[in-house]
Amino acid sequence: MDFSTFLQQLINGASLGSMYALIAIGYTMVYGVLRLINFAHGDIMMVGAFLTLMGVTAGLPFPLAVLLGIIGTVIVGILTDKIAYKPLREAPKISLLITAIGISFFLENLFNVIFGGIPKAFPAPDYLTKVLHLGEIYLPVTVIIIPVVTVLILGGVLWVLYRTKYGMAIRALAFDIPTVKLMGVDADRIITIVFALGSALAAIGGVFYAISYPSIDPLMGVIVGLKAFAAAVLGGIGSVTGAVIGGFILGFTEIFVVALFPELGGYKDAFAFFFLILVLLFRPTGIMGEDLERSRF
Amino acid sequence: MKKSMSIAAAIALAGGIAMAKEVKVGVVLPLTGPIAAFGQTSKGGLDIAYEQNHKLKNGDDVKLVVLDDRGDKVEAATAVKRLLDKNGVTVILGEVASGNSMAMAPIAEKAKTPMITHASTNPRVTKGKKYVTRACFIDPFQGAVMAKYALNNGMKTAVVVTDAKQDYSVGLSKAFKKAYTAGGGKILKTVLINSGDKDFNAQVSTIKAAHPDIIAFTGYYPEAALMVKQARAMGVKAPFIGADGVGFPELVKIGGKAAEGFMYTDHFNEAAASSPEAKAYVEAFHKKYHKPADSMGALAADAYGMILNAMNQCIDEGKAPTDKECVNDKLRHTKGYKGITGVINIDENGNAVKSAVINEVKDGKFAYKTTVNP
Repeated sequence: MDFSTFLQQLINGASLGSMYALIAIGYTMVYGVLRLINFAHGDIMMVGAFLTLMGVTAGLPFPLAVLLGIIGTVIVGILTDKIAYKPLREAPKISLLITAIGISFFLENLFNVIFGGIPKAFPAPDYLTKVLHLGEIYLPVTVIIIPVVTVLILGGVLWVLYRTKYGMAIRALAFDIPTVKLMGVDADRIITIVFALGSALAAIGGVFYAISYPSIDPLMGVIVGLKAFAAAVLGGIGSVTGAVIGGFILGFTEIFVVALFPELGGYKDAFAFFFLILVLLFRPTGIMGEDLERSRF
Repeated sequence: MKKSMSIAAAIALAGGIAMAKEVKVGVVLPLTGPIAAFGQTSKGGLDIAYEQNHKLKNGDDVKLVVLDDRGDKVEAATAVKRLLDKNGVTVILGEVASGNSMAMAPIAEKAKTPMITHASTNPRVTKGKKYVTRACFIDPFQGAVMAKYALNNGMKTAVVVTDAKQDYSVGLSKAFKKAYTAGGGKILKTVLINSGDKDFNAQVSTIKAAHPDIIAFTGYYPEAALMVKQARAMGVKAPFIGADGVGFPELVKIGGKAAEGFMYTDHFNEAAASSPEAKAYVEAFHKKYHKPADSMGALAADAYGMILNAMNQCIDEGKAPTDKECVNDKLRHTKGYKGITGVINIDENGNAVKSAVINEVKDGKFAYKTTVNP
């Protein structure tokens, strides 16, 4: 591999890694509060992409369509919480997990019925799909935009968690829900806010995913959801910074398996997950997770 | 879709009791899921063929029982079992993806029920099977057509892109490589992808560094569209050549300008339709769907026509059209059947020997380039 190809592969890794990181943040945040692995997160992401597509098809300008897409997805997220998760607040965690899987199937099939299973083209505007040429190197603008967005969101989430009253309530909930209720905090409302925030993050992830890979279908969230979950676990689930680190590690692993061993490219997912197992063997709580009981964000 | 399926099933059930003069044809297609476009277009063509003719020579009515397998191997196998046990079909038509047909074939074989796949091109689908036939050519032929076309146009070095998850792609890659190296071409690299993947930048960077004359893409259209887009964005200029798995409108819708110049081998192009059968089909297709006739639909219509043809031959010999042994025998010995996709002859292995066309994406449409005979 010559130097320019190597640089190109580095950029490819950063591009894919930042994508995983962006989606993993939402995963890890919901887990941090509710101890719920929200398996529907990937599908909520798909909802965000489809709602944005609907807006664009209806003739709205792209930024407005994205905004409405995010708002629509937040509503879907809140409804999901109210209908499916809220009645199970006192139930064992495993019931909640199974419900999340049920929601995931429901969303996939609902969108399959409405939009059909054939992949649709996602009409991203030209300024987001431009490619910059730096000599031999090709740099899609999304490679710059996505990490910036990821850092901004990371900052935003951390700010909400550590600098606002809601953030304090969220962090308190992550420790002990009954005690927080005794303090007079409306726990249900805070949990709804967490879901709303998680859904908004998923929608933003979905839109950027659709801009980078402009082919969307109702099952698009399945694999990327799994990868983002792996990234979150790798970084230490519950830790927002860990999710970002995990996302980048996963992205670079996938790209360099293909780059260094093209004949093994069909097994790149196996490599990525093998790496995950390896890390968990030595650090069972992930890279940033310090202690199962103590680590909250 | 669900509604029409249940109606078809209900009619089939009611018919079974009311009058015996009914012959059931089971159809298994991926109507939803990742390769839904194949199933939907197949169904579109099948519907036209059915509307044109669903009466046998002796006045018996043909009924279709259509099941969706969501593009899944396990679901496809279950669908065949259901068609056999519950619906009591005489013949099974399907599937599109070779992997799915391979999951269905052993069950049909065991039940001694004739099965005809309209579009599965992997040789292993019919290999060693007595009851499995197909209405399309096979991948060694298709791969050779791709290789010959590339070599004849002075493209002497190639990178092969294989979808490691698809039997179809693995078989086609093998066929292409064999014909290409035999013809004096050089394979620079083979890169692997997985269907369902969206990021091919790593593979594209590898291809770019290899500087091939042509990129032989043997997978399906969702990956083809994204890969060609990412390749053009990264400045890869080599042309792509694919096979019948890429010729879908989504290639152009998703690939956009990047898909321009994408060549592929296919079963049918309406621009090359010259026989009266083909012209009648194309006319009916335009009238019903207001869009160009695709190859999956034409193949499904041909497979259905071959089934009717076989049943009518059985009636001529004084046998019942539900006689599975007779229908299978006639299907396996189809000779000179004038289909929509050309004249179909079935060889001793159950494979159709017929011509292929080469198309190219031009101004967002699939332009006909040439026909290659076996």
